[in-house]
Amino acid sequence: MIELRDISVAIGDKQILADISLQLGNGNWISLVGPNGAGKTTLIKVLLGVIPYGGSAQEDSVEIYRNHNRNVAYIPQNPQIPNGMRVYEYVGLGTRKFDSWSRESKESAHLISETLKDLGLWALRDQMLNEISGGELQRAHLARILVQGANLVLLDEPTSALDLHHQIAVLNKLESLKQRGVTIVSTMHDLTLAAMFADQIAVMSGGKLLKFGAASAMAHSPDLKAAFNNQISVYTLDSGNPVILPQRDI
Amino acid sequence: MRFRNLLFSFICILLVILLAVSFGPIKLSFIEIVKTFFNLPGQLTGPDRTVLLDIRLPRVLLAVVVGSALSASGAVYQTIFRNPLADPYLLGAAAGAGLGATIAITNSAISVALPIFAFAGAVIAVLASFFISGKFFAEPSTLLLSGIAIGSFATAVQTYLQQRHSASLRPVYSWILGELTAADWSTVRWSAIYISISLATLFFIRKKLDALLLSDDEAFSLGLNPNKLRLVALGAATLATATAVSASGLIGFVGIVIPHLVRGVMRKISNENLPIIAIAGAGFLVLADLGARSLLAPSELPIGVLTAFIGAPFFLFILRKKRVSQR
Repeated sequence: MIELRDISVAIGDKQILADISLQLGNGNWISLVGPNGAGKTTLIKVLLGVIPYGGSAQEDSVEIYRNHNRNVAYIPQNPQIPNGMRVYEYVGLGTRKFDSWSRESKESAHLISETLKDLGLWALRDQMLNEISGGELQRAHLARILVQGANLVLLDEPTSALDLHHQIAVLNKLESLKQRGVTIVSTMHDLTLAAMFADQIAVMSGGKLLKFGAASAMAHSPDLKAAFNNQISVYTLDSGNPVILPQRDI
Repeated sequence: MRFRNLLFSFICILLVILLAVSFGPIKLSFIEIVKTFFNLPGQLTGPDRTVLLDIRLPRVLLAVVVGSALSASGAVYQTIFRNPLADPYLLGAAAGAGLGATIAITNSAISVALPIFAFAGAVIAVLASFFISGKFFAEPSTLLLSGIAIGSFATAVQTYLQQRHSASLRPVYSWILGELTAADWSTVRWSAIYISISLATLFFIRKKLDALLLSDDEAFSLGLNPNKLRLVALGAATLATATAVSASGLIGFVGIVIPHLVRGVMRKISNENLPIIAIAGAGFLVLADLGARSLLAPSELPIGVLTAFIGAPFFLFILRKKRVSQR
């Protein structure tokens, strides 16, 4: 259980986040949506514990900021790609926390191999990260997260480099983490996918939280439209699922 | 890192050392050398014994110590700066040591203290880069830029001093090219102490260093404090570099060539292999020194010339390969 109360973040004179209060339950997928500059990435970093904030952010009643004992997996929007590192080594970094950074245990070696096979990366395990395609790289990030065994997973645009098929594959894989009680917080530009996979959606704009609630209800909320300057249209499919598309100015 | 690999490289370095101490104007037999080391009957006597124990062995051991320091700190610097072309002299250590050495050489009163001045110069230059960059923790490339600025500044002062004391040009020049000729047991002893402390620290944190190849936030999510880790690694690598420079002058390219060579052979860039990188650096420098003193015997090539002769083309090769892979 993560509880944010009146979170505000300022860098210099610039207010990045203001008065954000949220409760994130275990095993839920929360998607942060909003236009660029809404403060989504900053909120992710608050949850990671790497930027100082005002207010209180607690995970299981312990303040988040710089608490090194948590196990949080994090993939930024543009991850640093270690030049010359091979896929296996990279994915293996995820197991280092519970190996206490000593020798790679048999269990983690097994876990890494299984995860690589599961994500179709086994054949690429000896390839260098700068030699594989963008989609394969994104799956390598996902594999690193899966082996980390974290109970909170923070993702900044997890599907931005993927084709439609792999987007769904990656998101399905993430969804399966929820069954293990893992909480997922992701930013997503594709609002349709956000509504399809997330349990809850937080609509943000200009550093403020406009609305937070169940994903199904949020798609039709006027606040979502307002966050995007009323430039989106929401359609409902026969299945009941919403499709959210940008409007073209006439 | 498999124990087998470590054992193999350890045996290799012992053989290289044996080869290097036996080879020279006076050839010594392997068996007699081994007997001398283990104090068995039939050991070397007279001048041969002096050549082995007082001339060749300290020189070879100094090459071992300096080579391992330079290649391990090179590997660590490459990790810290996430830059495959980083070398241990990047933060002005070389220029600072050069300035310190020049000050010592141009003032005959203090010239005996050359290693101390070179050491102080290297440490002061790195500290200056460190404090001037200020926001180092936020962005390693800022530190890199301030290192370059400090380096240019120290080189300018050094050139000025050399111009004012043109008689000192030759000794300064030969120091800059690196030399192991002055090796004696006391040099081996003090440099081994500092370098062992540095290497032990780096070996201890070597696996964690891999996380520094990721962004700081990702390293944090893997349970590490990237700033603290970088500070410890930078401190240990700088101590090793400054010690190596003050013991043997500026020996270039070991810190770049060897880490890349080992990573290529092991097919891993992980710092897990740091002990093997250190041993390989030691072996490389012992062989380079053997080349430096035998290729033009009886005169000697400066060892820095030889390492740069091999290192520079290799450096260009990496640069080219890096450009190709980023396309």
